[in-house]
Amino acid sequence: MSASVSQQAVAIELNEERCSKCSICSSLCPFEAIRKEPETGKVILDIEKCQVCGLCYSTCPAQAISSVYYDIDSLTGYLKRAQQEYKSDTLIILCKGSTPDLTGVEELFGVSRFIPLFVPCVGRMPEEVLLKALTTGINKIHVLACDDDYCRFEKGSTVAGRKIVALNLLLEQLGYGEAVIDLKRNSLKVIVDRDKCIACGTCVFYCPYHAPKLESGAVSVDLDLCRGCGLCVALCPAFALELENWERVRISVLISELAAEMEKPKVLVFRCQWAVLPPLEEEFSSNVRAIDLPCAARVDLLHILEALQNDIDGVLIAACPEEECKQEKKGSKEAQHSVMALKNRLSQIGLEDRLHFCFVAPRYPEVFTGELRQFTEGIRADYLKEGKK
Amino acid sequence: MIVTVQKPLDEILDSLEPYTSILIAGCDGCTQPPRGLREAEELRQLVELGGKQRGKNFELKVTTLAKQCDSYLVDTIFRPQAADVEVILSLACGVGVQTLNQVLPEGVTLPAQNTLFMGMEAREAGILEENCSACGDCILAVTGGICPIARCPKNLLNGSCGGQSNDKCEQDPTKDCAWCLIYERLAKLGRLDVLREFRPPRNYRIVARPGRVTV
Repeated sequence: MSASVSQQAVAIELNEERCSKCSICSSLCPFEAIRKEPETGKVILDIEKCQVCGLCYSTCPAQAISSVYYDIDSLTGYLKRAQQEYKSDTLIILCKGSTPDLTGVEELFGVSRFIPLFVPCVGRMPEEVLLKALTTGINKIHVLACDDDYCRFEKGSTVAGRKIVALNLLLEQLGYGEAVIDLKRNSLKVIVDRDKCIACGTCVFYCPYHAPKLESGAVSVDLDLCRGCGLCVALCPAFALELENWERVRISVLISELAAEMEKPKVLVFRCQWAVLPPLEEEFSSNVRAIDLPCAARVDLLHILEALQNDIDGVLIAACPEEECKQEKKGSKEAQHSVMALKNRLSQIGLEDRLHFCFVAPRYPEVFTGELRQFTEGIRADYLKEGKK
Repeated sequence: MIVTVQKPLDEILDSLEPYTSILIAGCDGCTQPPRGLREAEELRQLVELGGKQRGKNFELKVTTLAKQCDSYLVDTIFRPQAADVEVILSLACGVGVQTLNQVLPEGVTLPAQNTLFMGMEAREAGILEENCSACGDCILAVTGGICPIARCPKNLLNGSCGGQSNDKCEQDPTKDCAWCLIYERLAKLGRLDVLREFRPPRNYRIVARPGRVTV
């Protein structure tokens, strides 16, 4: 990384003066981004290795770590506003990676009125926020985490589980009753339509987790291995695969809805939920909207084309850098390959500038906003030029 | 499998110029990647977008067939779907395109692919290379399972030619010399003795081109 990059805003910072050198953070960091110097005892954060899971932020007892995403203030602020908006006393904290859409969440927990709180990993939720919620009008908290061995931040889901056990014990002693915080584990899964399968083996080759097997003329997926990244769905030549509760048609409907509410020139962003960590109440300008997906590889080329057909002027794809892809480092690479192939096809009809693919990491929040700004400006310039013709 | 590449969209759009209603027909058969329903749908969107760029609105629909080269399937399953269109745009290899034109002579079928060769589906490498020329006189049994007809540009039966350098072909140094591969493979198998046998020129009459077989 160049000097100019290292000078820009970073997502996680360590305040040396506050640090008590307890090294809980370095023992928890899944990416070895924090280490303790043996001689001095000094704790050092290497932002280049950090993937912004937030475990260190939420577990630091000295509050020596600051985070630009989902810090205590923004979380409690969100809860305060959301209580009024949703008029509910039930909070459901959802790891984005394991979450079906809100109807699916309703079914999963058997509740119809709730406050949703999406975070990139439930392991990053500070205990303070949960306690604060319970003292300010929330009566029940549900947490939806990924299965332990599915956690994209390796230790996040386990840490969340431990925190909840400890908090429940504490809350029981304080007279809040038993198991006030309820933890469920879930993952998105692929469903196969064996009648549509043409047994080409594409999913068998591309699945990062070796979940699909080709037997007796069609594919079957080992759901214990499937992690719901959706790579196979976007590549299946026969439309035989779907991601349960994130079916292609749901994304198509979302594209038309977003297209209808945007102003020209319209820019739609498909982003990997690990590449861009959106603020809790993200606000775009009236000509930009975004769809978050479990992995950039879930971006279906047909959805890009549908967007262009839906009067959307530009489509931006934001993926994690290849080596940081949470899907065994395969998803991001395949996404780039497919999108660039489509861009090449679009160049044959003069539309190549309408599609842009970029690698971004949440550690530098301004990289994504910069890419978006630059792309939107380009699209606007083209739009104005065409209007003059 | 049969290796094809997509034709450039402007060429496809040129060929569609006289028509308005189009059926894009995928083929789930032996091309790689399978040019099935997804590719048909993608091409539909691209043709529609490309058409608009040229100021033309096509009426497009898509379908796919297990094998476009099967006259019976085309005649029975496919025919009704093609009934009300002016032109069929086929994603199959050249055989599929010709089958559609022959079985459905009242309509026109245009190709959306360039058909290249037959080769291995080498997924990891991401490079597809020609492996078989359909010569009709298979000698893989005595060449260590590596075909010099398809993989040597000179089609030599008694190689190598001597022009190879570092086991690469003199005609294209990025490609392996097929006869070097054959030598190494036979050496590993302990069968270098077969190279001592002189192979006479091939019998070209086995498959008189164009080929024909009665079944």
